Amino acid sequence: MSGQNLTGLPGRPQYSMEQLTRAMLAVGLLPILLILTVVVMSIVEPKFYGIFNVLNVLRQSSFLAIVACGQMLVLIVGGLDLSVGAVVALTSSVMAKTMQAIGFVMPEAVGLTIFGGIMAGLGCGLGIGLLNGACVAFLRISPFMVTLGTLWIATGIGLLLTNGIPVYGMPDVFINDFGRALWFGIPTTVYVALGVVFLVVLLQRKTVLGRYLYAIGGNMQAATVSGVATTGYIIIAYVLCSMLASVSGILQTARLGSGQATMGGDLLMLESIAAAVIGGASLRGGIGRAEMVALSAVFLSILSNSMNLMRIDSKMQLVILGLILVAAVAIDELGKRRQIRG
Amino acid sequence: MAEAKPVDRSDATASAEDATRRLQRRIRMTQALLPVVLLLMLLGFAAAEPRVLSFGNLANVLQQASYLFVFALAQMCVIVTRGFDLSLGTNVSAVSVLSALTLTGLVGAEGNGVAVAIFAGLLVGLGFGALVGVFNGLVVAWLRVNPFIATLGSLNICLGVASMASDGRPVFNVPDAFSQIFYSGTILGVEMPIIYAAVIGIAMALMFSRTVLGRSLFLIGSNPRAAEVAGLPTRRYLTAAYVLAGALAAFGSLMLTARTGSGEPNLGGGLRLVGESIAAAVIGGVSLRGGVGGVEAALIGALFITVLSNGMNLVRVDGYIQMIVLGAVLIGAIFLDRFRRT
Repeated sequence: MSGQNLTGLPGRPQYSMEQLTRAMLAVGLLPILLILTVVVMSIVEPKFYGIFNVLNVLRQSSFLAIVACGQMLVLIVGGLDLSVGAVVALTSSVMAKTMQAIGFVMPEAVGLTIFGGIMAGLGCGLGIGLLNGACVAFLRISPFMVTLGTLWIATGIGLLLTNGIPVYGMPDVFINDFGRALWFGIPTTVYVALGVVFLVVLLQRKTVLGRYLYAIGGNMQAATVSGVATTGYIIIAYVLCSMLASVSGILQTARLGSGQATMGGDLLMLESIAAAVIGGASLRGGIGRAEMVALSAVFLSILSNSMNLMRIDSKMQLVILGLILVAAVAIDELGKRRQIRG
Repeated sequence: MAEAKPVDRSDATASAEDATRRLQRRIRMTQALLPVVLLLMLLGFAAAEPRVLSFGNLANVLQQASYLFVFALAQMCVIVTRGFDLSLGTNVSAVSVLSALTLTGLVGAEGNGVAVAIFAGLLVGLGFGALVGVFNGLVVAWLRVNPFIATLGSLNICLGVASMASDGRPVFNVPDAFSQIFYSGTILGVEMPIIYAAVIGIAMALMFSRTVLGRSLFLIGSNPRAAEVAGLPTRRYLTAAYVLAGALAAFGSLMLTARTGSGEPNLGGGLRLVGESIAAAVIGGVSLRGGVGGVEAALIGALFITVLSNGMNLVRVDGYIQMIVLGAVLIGAIFLDRFRRT
């Protein structure tokens, strides 16, 4: 399924080589790379398994994994969402502004403030997701152009609301007892991310919706002819994607303690696509598994953390990430072609 | 586009001819409608602010549009082959820094050897741009990696190069002669950027209409299988398209560098320039599905976006609201385009 499993080279004469690829086929390339990185880093740099660093990596990968899972859902239906980073920024601004406003009017109602803020944040995701989905599914505009448009719209609204200045005034309970809290020694964010990934896995494997998303991405015409209401399901995919971006935005805002219109941005969007694609999702649609995408988000986070610890220049890191991305997809493509020929 | 079942050979040719004619009519309609919209927009802005139609401002619009026109042309080279180039923005940044470094490095303390320095700067800039194109082209054409991922990778790489070479700081002291040649000079009263844009536009128009490469790029975009079957060296042509895009982006970057008078590591500004260049091409009528486009399309699209933002500036629309408007106009324009076509 996931691209890594297809990199095996069946029908090769060397027996040992074949055994090796068999083993890799069974586990997949990504987990092996992940474990390799962790082992090497633990030996080279003791700081790597220090508790602060581990918590930090876990948090970072949680933020990314949630967005990447959403991105994957859109990739599966053959789309693409450039607006996720902007949705994170918009969510952060709107949520903080809402909490500020409710807190100002009713300082006692902390519960209501938090509830209202989160709902407003999720509302942003819902709104942008509906706009994206409707434009792609009903109007048949290319996903690239639609989400480029909503990227600008969402960024503009976020900046307009906050003037680019951080928004404070969220309830302390929300920040200290949720955003920065540890439950049983693990950041709350990680629990949320695990929950999200679990739900998406469930959605993909056990629900009609999940199966239809694969069907639509695999062959749109066949899905339509088989009676799948493709328009509706495509919209659902975009809404889920944007709302997951919102969830990540809420978590990041709670962790930071202020709403910022510069959160997320283009970098998060690019990372989410990279994570989804390295995790085996295909830009052609029809392929992608949430657990692999989450794993690849963890891999990317560990990789950039390792490079930071090794004091590799942050600019050099960009170059390395770019090369890894291209290499991952190229290997995947080559593997597929080999398999077709073999 | 030719979706007819070939029952009889003459029938098939007839329907193919029909499709071509329909396509041509469609393109002509796009080209007829957009200038009208452009004119209406100009008049609308002029009603609110008469200065919009002043000679000085119109000349200013033309000059600003010439940069976007060059970038839109670069983008068009690859969009007609069903690709796009996300690395354009950071390529522009890297070229700006590298050529400025070459210029300042070669000019002696007493300001001697300016001619050599300018020539070397031009060579280094265009060379790097072409090199980025070679990378993109090889990865897309030979490794068959999706253009999105391939150019996302080179986006990262160029960003790394730009910030490593410049250390994140602008490169000052670009010789005046360079600025004069690429920006402030005039020929018969016409500013240099406009002249370069015109020359490049004419050259590209000839390339697309008269050369085998140009014609082949359209065929590759509209029907890659047919191009392959017809015996075209599609991989080489595809690579050439990306090299051309990279070199054109580099030339645009030199023009911008001359305007700012320094090498700027943020000249291409993340995805903003990429977004605008793709938007300009697509608004003008270049199809993201490949095979449709023309130099006039890039010109009209670039003018459209420049007039819009120039008008909003003069009417004093808030910068953040401009962003939102740009996003909405992008979606609207592409929707209208689709609407007209169906």
